[in-house]
Amino acid sequence: MIKVFTFGSCLLAITNLACGAQTLTAENKLNEFPAGSVTLEQGLASWQIFYEVASHPRCSNCHVGSSNRPMWSGPSYGKTRPHGMNIKADESRIGVESVPCATCHVTLLQPSENANTMPHTPPRVTAPWALAPVEAEWFGKSSSFICNQLKDPERNGNRTIADVASHLDHDRVLQWAWNPGGNRQSAPYSLQMVMDALMKWSAAGTPCPSE
Amino acid sequence: MQITVNGNQHEIDVEDDMPLLWILRDELGITGPKYGCGIAQCGACTVHVEGIAVRSCQVRAADIDGEITTIEGLGQPDALHAVQSAWVEHQVAQCGYCQSGQIMQAASFLDQNDDPSDEEIDSAMSSNLCRCGTYPRIRKAVKTAAENLRSA
Repeated sequence: MIKVFTFGSCLLAITNLACGAQTLTAENKLNEFPAGSVTLEQGLASWQIFYEVASHPRCSNCHVGSSNRPMWSGPSYGKTRPHGMNIKADESRIGVESVPCATCHVTLLQPSENANTMPHTPPRVTAPWALAPVEAEWFGKSSSFICNQLKDPERNGNRTIADVASHLDHDRVLQWAWNPGGNRQSAPYSLQMVMDALMKWSAAGTPCPSE
Repeated sequence: MQITVNGNQHEIDVEDDMPLLWILRDELGITGPKYGCGIAQCGACTVHVEGIAVRSCQVRAADIDGEITTIEGLGQPDALHAVQSAWVEHQVAQCGYCQSGQIMQAASFLDQNDDPSDEEIDSAMSSNLCRCGTYPRIRKAVKTAAENLRSA
């Protein structure tokens, strides 16, 4: 029997992560680019920016598939391997069924500059730590795969690309990727540049690279 | 600030970033939770916040969000928690240093799943290290505790 439980101010359940309802203030700007104002070549270049971020360990380590096992990859980990300690985030993607992510990745009540300074400690942010939805599997996937996935409403939470770009600015776990602390390598570019890249890619008609 | 530990309210005057483990052991003298690694890699400091297992070395004072239960408050000598009883029955402990964390982890896990498979037990308990290697007895004790909880 699996129960629903509460942790902090968030409701954690097997099939639902109700913490998305938290009210957060957008910190970046959603810049519009008129349709047709961005060439195909520029659109593909913009996609490449997003892909470099999506495939970076700060992002891809938690964008895993139905194994539900977060990954440890990137310069700070050396060899690529699943998260240590036999951690599985389970079907809930937040570990309710075994060890909740928040058991170690404790949810901060207030932002803190020094919460993640020590290497090898579990990162902490002001939102419950969690895997990305299973539909957003990125780890080890090609640029073409992720490109087609991201614009597929069935796999992107029924969002427009503007919705996706806006969503990025409201996710505290995601924002941590640019300020990871410890000895972790930051995701490339900046969140503002990624949002702009997505919007330019959209204005270019969401072109995808071939395999 | 005020915190509630094992049903008792305490007024504490600490820095915002003092880990809960330090508060429990050094400020309140509650020494069941143990210091092992300080970086959430061993589980010896596990306590409950609102019934959920957390590594108290990672919970800063500013982030305490609910009632805390330590091994001292899980059961009493004359009324042990089902997990504690199972631990005694299977004589799980060897040196014992990690065991309060193991028991708190198991109790929180069984509160979510009172009929776990061996694989589920291993999944839930693998992040609590035991240098004595009592893992086979831990798994047996968790199964016994689950049976007792279901029949309670």
